[in-house]
Amino acid sequence: MSSRPTFFSSTVGSKILIGLTGLMLFGFLIGHLAGNLSLLVGAEAFNAYAHKLESLGPLLYLVEAGLVGVFLLHVVKTLANYRRNAAARPAGYREKKWAGHTSRKTWSSTTMALTGLFILFFVVTHIRTFKFGAWYVDPATGHRDLYRLVAEIYQNPLYVAFYVVAMGLIGMHLNHGISSATQSLGLSNQRTGRTLVLGGRILAVLIAVGFAALPLYMYFAHQVAQ
Amino acid sequence: MGALNLTLRVWRQPGPDAPGRLVEYKAEHISPDMSFLEMLDVVNEGLIRKGEEPISFDSDCREGICGTCGCMVNGVAHGPDAGTTVCQLHMRRFRNGDTITIEPWRAAAFPVVKDLVVDRSALDRIVRAGGYISMNVGAAPDANAIPVPKLVADTAFDAAACIQCGACVAACKNASAALFTSAKIAHLNALPQGQAEQHRRAVRMVEQMDIEGFGACSNEGECEAVCPKEIRITNIATMNRAYLKAQLVAR
Repeated sequence: MSSRPTFFSSTVGSKILIGLTGLMLFGFLIGHLAGNLSLLVGAEAFNAYAHKLESLGPLLYLVEAGLVGVFLLHVVKTLANYRRNAAARPAGYREKKWAGHTSRKTWSSTTMALTGLFILFFVVTHIRTFKFGAWYVDPATGHRDLYRLVAEIYQNPLYVAFYVVAMGLIGMHLNHGISSATQSLGLSNQRTGRTLVLGGRILAVLIAVGFAALPLYMYFAHQVAQ
Repeated sequence: MGALNLTLRVWRQPGPDAPGRLVEYKAEHISPDMSFLEMLDVVNEGLIRKGEEPISFDSDCREGICGTCGCMVNGVAHGPDAGTTVCQLHMRRFRNGDTITIEPWRAAAFPVVKDLVVDRSALDRIVRAGGYISMNVGAAPDANAIPVPKLVADTAFDAAACIQCGACVAACKNASAALFTSAKIAHLNALPQGQAEQHRRAVRMVEQMDIEGFGACSNEGECEAVCPKEIRITNIATMNRAYLKAQLVAR
């Protein structure tokens, strides 16, 4: 037994917040992927895009702070529910099977906490590698040559492999996460429920494949160029 | 199909605070036409003849409408069939020589009373928190005095089919009562008679669900898959929507 919950401490309120922040992070991924696709156009386009973001100045810091806040809220609320859920069944079953039939349980849904934990680790590594990575200067423009850093890092096949696997795990997280968020936010109903699950899967695959394609392209394009 | 000889592994626990364990029993010469609970009756008669304590389990109507029975059969709530309670499970679903594991519902909010019997009064307290409508007593109103569109009536009835057996909680990896609570909220909030108390109902019932120590919903839908009345998890989306709306409007 626990005390009377508020919106923020209730299971339903927590899930609404987790779903809302999750969808925000998903929205960020779409924008991030759209921007990164300029890598395919070439060094000039990618560096111009990167410089445009940098030159936003205080506005960029505001957006970054917002993203960190959303990310942390997503993690903190999940951890709180995780503890609560563990306490809700102190004695487990000797034998437990997946129910099948109409169940949406998948390997993606059962490993949300693990893939989530991995994403936390990945995001820290990712930001250190690129945002706080080597600061090359493009002599032509005098701005940061981020393309050179990206190209250098993706010359290492181990790094490419790490990124591709990471994108697969993020895809798994989204595979359950997108449709789960719509359900938590009360956006699904009898008519749209199954469509949202299918739509979530398709979007998860698109995001994962889109992001994984970039390091692979950078690796093989430069292999061919040499 | 001949008679079945089975091995049962049944959770035996003498009382709420006593330690429990799985005990093996032989169930022999079981007719495939028996229900699962009739099979347990036969085993119990054998135990009584030998002077042993029979296996305690809940049952009442034995036709899938009362919600009293329920246990885990080989790791699935109410057994392998969709849309049935364990009293509607027939022994023809098993093969000669099978081993069947039988356990009680597991949740902090469902303490074991004895063997397969658990205390599900937590669900009653959730209903008491808001699963009702308030009206003046007196002569029964005319049946069609309040018009209810067919689609609304159907939605409400589908949710109202819940028999409060607790299988949703038992199947959920988080022991969440979200499907049960949402079915009650969706049922009453859909109907004209439920409008006056819709916000208070959503908030109080969710609060009580949390107070009882049930977990949060992970939207996996294991509950829907084992529900004998096939209550849809879209009711949970309806509950979340109602709860959010109720929090946004002043109480």
